Amino acid sequence: MAGIDSTDIHKIIVACDAGMGSSVMLASQLKKQLKGTGVIVEHTPVNSIPDDADVVLCHAGLAARAKAAAPGKVLVPFQIFLGDPAVTRLVNTIKNGGTVDA
Amino acid sequence: MRDGLLDPRAVLLHESAADRAAAIRRCGRALADVGAVAEPYVEAMLERERSISTYVGEGVAIPHGTNASKDDVLRDAICVVRFPAGVDWDGEHVTLCVGIAAKNDGHVPLLAALAEILLDPERARALREATKVSQVMKELTV
Repeated sequence: MAGIDSTDIHKIIVACDAGMGSSVMLASQLKKQLKGTGVIVEHTPVNSIPDDADVVLCHAGLAARAKAAAPGKVLVPFQIFLGDPAVTRLVNTIKNGGTVDA
Repeated sequence: MRDGLLDPRAVLLHESAADRAAAIRRCGRALADVGAVAEPYVEAMLERERSISTYVGEGVAIPHGTNASKDDVLRDAICVVRFPAGVDWDGEHVTLCVGIAAKNDGHVPLLAALAEILLDPERARALREATKVSQVMKELTV
């Protein structure tokens, strides 16, 4: 997949193994940062990424599993749970327009 | 906040642990002691940690189990365990663990509050250095 235009992003999924810890924390922050944009942010275990997800955020260590579980989705890997530059970039792209690369 | 999510008996402020595994076991035991998890959950916490570190910054880690271990969660609960001398967490220095047991989303507001605290270095320091259970409860309950 080539990427996705910011205007086509309606739902972001933060995925991790259990969906109970770090992904919850990141999702709560992201929700706050994207308040007013209309973009929905949810957290799920990596095995249950919903079909209508437009962008999947997950820890770099889980990227292979996320790719296998949700083929064809734009995947944004990150390294740190709070304040990762990849997440900041995603937020800026959604707010200012542009393309999120797969 | 939901009743019983953070039981004051699961706030332990003067613990010590030789290493990361011992610290995680201590968190697991705290969750088991308040009846939130069954014993096998503790091993799942160690397994989860081996795959990806639960270090989240500001000297704080949030150990929790795997997706497969949710059957061993009896109710959503959080524990706060402080290690004043610090624990080597795969190269990071951790002095506070927020252990999580969750089947549902009852703990989400508390983790959101924790994220806010960790993004504010002053509040993060206050939480790390808290020596009274009441301080911790006050910081984390929204």
